[in-house]
Parts: sequence; structure tokens; C-alpha cells
Amino acid sequence: MSDAIVFVIDDDESIREALKSLIRSVGLSVETFASAHEFLQRQRQDVPACLILDVRMPGLSGLDLQRELTEANIHVPIIFITGHGDIPMSVRAMKAGAVEFLTKPFRDQDLLDAIQQALERDRLARSQRADNEELLHRYQSLTPRETEVFGLVVKGLLNKQIALQLGTSEITIKLHRRQVMEKMHADSLADLVRMAEKLNATT
Amino acid sequence: MLRTLWRYGLAVLTVAVALFITKSLEYYTDITPLFYAAIIISAWFGGRGPGLLAVAISTIAIDYYLVAPLYTLSLGAKRISFLIVFGILAVVTSWMSSKRRQSEEALRQARDELDVRVQERTRELRQANQVLRERANLLDLTHDTVVVRDMNDVITFWNRGAEERYGWSRDEAIGQVSHGIVRTGFPAPLTEVNAELMRTGRWEGELLHTRRDGTVVTVASRWALQRDEQGNPVAVLETNNDITERKRAEEALQKVQTELVHATRVMTLGELTASIAHEVNQPLAAIVTNANACLRWLGGAQPNFVEARQAVERIIKDSYRASEVISRVRTLVKKAPPRNDLVDLNEVIVEVLALAQSQARRNLVLLKRELANNLPPVLGDRVQLQQVILNLIINGLEAIAKRGEGERELIVNSGQDESNNLIVAVRDTGSGIDPANVERLFDAFFTTKSDGMGMGLAISRTIVESHGGRLWATPNSPKGSVFQFTLPQASERAQ
Repeated sequence: MSDAIVFVIDDDESIREALKSLIRSVGLSVETFASAHEFLQRQRQDVPACLILDVRMPGLSGLDLQRELTEANIHVPIIFITGHGDIPMSVRAMKAGAVEFLTKPFRDQDLLDAIQQALERDRLARSQRADNEELLHRYQSLTPRETEVFGLVVKGLLNKQIALQLGTSEITIKLHRRQVMEKMHADSLADLVRMAEKLNATT
Repeated sequence: MLRTLWRYGLAVLTVAVALFITKSLEYYTDITPLFYAAIIISAWFGGRGPGLLAVAISTIAIDYYLVAPLYTLSLGAKRISFLIVFGILAVVTSWMSSKRRQSEEALRQARDELDVRVQERTRELRQANQVLRERANLLDLTHDTVVVRDMNDVITFWNRGAEERYGWSRDEAIGQVSHGIVRTGFPAPLTEVNAELMRTGRWEGELLHTRRDGTVVTVASRWALQRDEQGNPVAVLETNNDITERKRAEEALQKVQTELVHATRVMTLGELTASIAHEVNQPLAAIVTNANACLRWLGGAQPNFVEARQAVERIIKDSYRASEVISRVRTLVKKAPPRNDLVDLNEVIVEVLALAQSQARRNLVLLKRELANNLPPVLGDRVQLQQVILNLIINGLEAIAKRGEGERELIVNSGQDESNNLIVAVRDTGSGIDPANVERLFDAFFTTKSDGMGMGLAISRTIVESHGGRLWATPNSPKGSVFQFTLPQASERAQ
């Protein structure tokens, strides 16, 4: 838990300081920023994190930053806070993947719950991303021929059919197939099919 | 000619009469007395010539008719001496008579001339009196009061205007001390007023006077000092003009204007309600969060008093912040007569920017300020000046919002121009001013906003001008507009 970090971006110093104190009081690390630009320029640790963001700020607004982070493929769960929440704005924020949309002044428990939820989501996403990366890494270690065999196996073709399609013997395919199962750390055909689905989803 | 003939004829006639009477009464009277009388009459009425003629005829007549030998002109020695004595006495008598007559004539003439001159003088005097009376009547005709008082302030002249204005008749007023009878209220100490009168010979100002019935009137008073030939002051001429009604109208107008200014200010604040609410909500949110944090710092297994204390300190700070916003708004909403204080324009700008801050946030506009150091104060009403700047800022923000794209920036500058007037400029990067509207921009009820009243800029200009300054608009480069106003320094304006 202590390895997680909460980023707070708000142009109002009072709000920044108050949030910092509240979040630290439950044992979380906090970093505060006065603007979206300041946040983007700072080097960030590679740990589970979430972002508490004021919707309206001069310069780059909260919603703008959300879009920009998505475009830059930076995945960090966002909790929006606003002084005057209007529904269209919160809908936009939630659709774009926000965890929570809180109106000031908010109940501390609501915020802390949202933070826990966001960090959990990030932790999960991070481990998923790690799993996917591992899978991709294994997939990329396959030879071109093994990759071909992998694709045809998960489509449900028999060794004989694959041999026919690739113009080689059934024995050779059997060898390739064992090689694929081994490199992909697959225990069964079903396991391999699930992996293929995951790979399809990420690539 | 006829007169000469008559004069000499008179001589002949009188001598003839004397001769006739003397001859008739020859035995009862003396010879000469009647002839003397004839000579005196001739010389008296006829002058020297007829007198001498009478002497000559008398001498001959006496010789011929009355002295023996009668009826001859021949004479004995004794008769010659008698005639010579008569002749000399007759000449002397004639001369004295005519001389006396002459001097009497001269005297009469002199008296007549004197008479004529006296009449002329009398006529002139009468005319002069007439003119004077007409002038005095003119002074009575004017509605202004005209009062003359001597150097002891004792009234010596009091026209009908004064009688009507103050209710005291001329007879009652003359001889009274002027400042006493009308209980003069002075705008400055009397010694200062008198000092100026002595120095320049004049004084002008507004005075309060009390009429006989106790009502008080405001008069525009002009004094002029009258000096004698040696230059010593002798009297003061005071003309007073009743301006009570004008004053009352002016005050009524000012009151209406104050209310209008207040109404527009409240309307301007109305546009800011969301912004102000946010400005109060922001510290309130911080207070709630800090209080929650504080409870958590205290509630753990090992309470952290240092953190809790810091949270409470932030709560105090934020509470003040919220109450400052509210008191700022309250000042602006409060209705108060205009004041004349020393005002620091930079302070005014900072306060107003604090109010407009979240309005700017809502419109995603960056508010900037560039304020000159050591700005001298201006003389005026702080709240009204806040109103002007607030109004210009809100207009700027709306212009930026209307434009929708591009740089979103509003800068408030303060400084001094080349004549050392203070100058405040509000620059926006908004939609700018349509050249077609430039002329009407400051007109009342002119607006380009769908929900605007068109009073903001008109009132702002009225306020600035009542502070002795100027408000105008120019295009900003490369886009938007600049609204700026000047105000004289307090030290300049006090003079």
C-alpha cells in the first residue's frame, strides 16, 4: 500500500494543502501540482498511482489533461473534483474513464474510498499490463513458422490440416506445436486459446 | 435811435417843465432847485449825455429867463459867477446821478446773472437727483439682494430684494450688524474670508442666511470692497443670489445618481454571483477537508498533534479568506453616499481581481496584473472606483468568452501618464469593439449583450468624470480591446 502515490492538481493552494493533509493522514504518499503543465513536466515514479484533478483550471483544464494523458498512452485513474459540478461535464469525464466525480465540499470518506478504488484499479491494470507484456514477450520469442502454427492451432485446426496447409509433414507440425506450448508456458490447448485472445485484445 | 432821441427829449422836457414852474412861481421860490431836479432826472434816466444837455439848457434858460437883465444872454460879472457855480454844481449833480444810475444798473445785471445761474444749478441738481433716484429704484427692482455695510459690518443700504428675501424692512435693517441680522453661516472662518476681501478687493462664495421667519436659505454671495481716494476701505457691497432651490435640485440629482450607481453595481455583482459563490465555496471546501484531516490525525492509534495543529491553522486562514470575500461583496452592495478619501488604486485593483478571479477561472481566462510601484493616491470613493474596474474586467472576460478561441488573457495595468495622472488599463484578448459601435459605447442603455442593461460603461464614465478623470476605449493589438481611465493625483485635485 505504501508504495502507491496520489497526485493532486489544483490551482487553489488552500485546497491543495488540505487534500495533501487528508490523504497523508491515512498513510498515503501525496504529490501536489499547481497546474496540469507542472504535472506533465515532472518525472513520475513507476508505482501505482491516481490523480485528483480540478475540472476547471486556467491554462490546461482538467478535462484537457485527461484527454492529453489518454493520447499519450499514460494510464492513471482520475478522480475529478469541482466547485460547481454540472451534469454534462461529469458525464464527459466519467465516459472518458474517470473513477469518480466529486463536488466540493465533499465527504472525506467519499474521496478516500474513491482513492482506494482508483489505486486498486491502477494496481490491477498495472499487473494486467505486466501479464500482457510477459505474454507478448513469449509470443515474440516464437519463430515465424511457430507463429504460423500458433495461429492455426488456436483456430482449432488439427495437426493434419495444418501440415496440409503449410505443405509439410504432420510430424514436423507436432514438433512445432510442442515448441509453441513450451515457449508460451501453456498447459493445455484451452490455455493457449485464452492467451491468443488476450494477445488479440492488446495488439 | 428812438431811445437816444427819447433820452435827450426827456432832458429838454424836464428842463422845460422846471423853467415853466420856476417862472410861474418866480416870486415864491428859489431859482435853482427844480433845475437840479430836472438835471438829476435827465442824468438818471438818460445817462451822462442827456444830463450834460440838461445842464447846458438849464444854464441858458436861467440866464435868459430868470437872471436880470431878463430876456438877454448878456451877463453882469456877478451873474456870471452865479451861473458858473450853478453850472459846476449842475455838472457834478448830473455826473453823480448818472454814475449812481450806472452802478445800480451793473448791480441789477449782476443780480440777474446770478439768478440765472442759480436756476441752472438747481435744474442740474434736480436732474442728478432724478438719476440717482432712478438708479436706487433699479437696485430695488433686482431680485438679488443688495446690501452695503461699512467696515464695522453695520448695514448702510438695504434694497427691496433684501427686504423680500430676509423679511426685514429697510428701516429695521439699516444700522444693524449684517452678519448678526441674517445669522450668516460661512464656509470658511470669517477671518480668512475678510483676509481675501482685503487682499483682492473681492470675495465670492456660498453662504447660509437665516430669514426673519427662521428658514435658512443658501445664497451665492459676492462681495466687493469700496475704497476712498486714499485707498482706505470704507464699505463692502454685498450682492446675494438665492440658490436654495438650485442646491436642492442638485442634491436630488446627486441622490438619484448615487442610487443609479448603486443599482448598477448590484447588477454587476449579480453577474458575478456564481463566481462569488465559488470564491466562498473554495475556502469552505478547504476548511471541511482540513477539519476531516485534523480528526484523522487525532483519531489514530498514535495521534499526530503537529499535523492536527497545522490543519487547524489552515482552517483559521481559510475562514478569514471566506469572510474577506463576503465583506468585500458586502461593501460593494452597501448603499452609502459617495465619499472623498485617499485611495490606493493598486489596492483597489487587487481586491477587485480577487472577486473576479473565479469568473475568470470559469471562462478559462488567465488574469494578470502589472502594477506600478509607489503609485500616489487618488482622491475619491473607493467603492465606486472598484465598481469601474470590476465592470471593465467583467466586460473583458465576456468579450474573451464570446470570442471562444485563441489566447485567453486579461491584463490590468496601473501607472502614470506624462502629466503624472494615474492611469489604469484593462486589456483583453476578446472579440474587440465593432468600429460601428465605438461612438455609442458609453451611451446609457447601449449594449451588445443579450442580457445587458447598457448601464455599466455609462455609469463607469460618469464615475470617472466625477473623479476628474477620463475613460476611453481603444483596440488592443493584435486582438481585443483596451479600456483605460485616468485620474488626477490626490495632491493635484486638492488644489
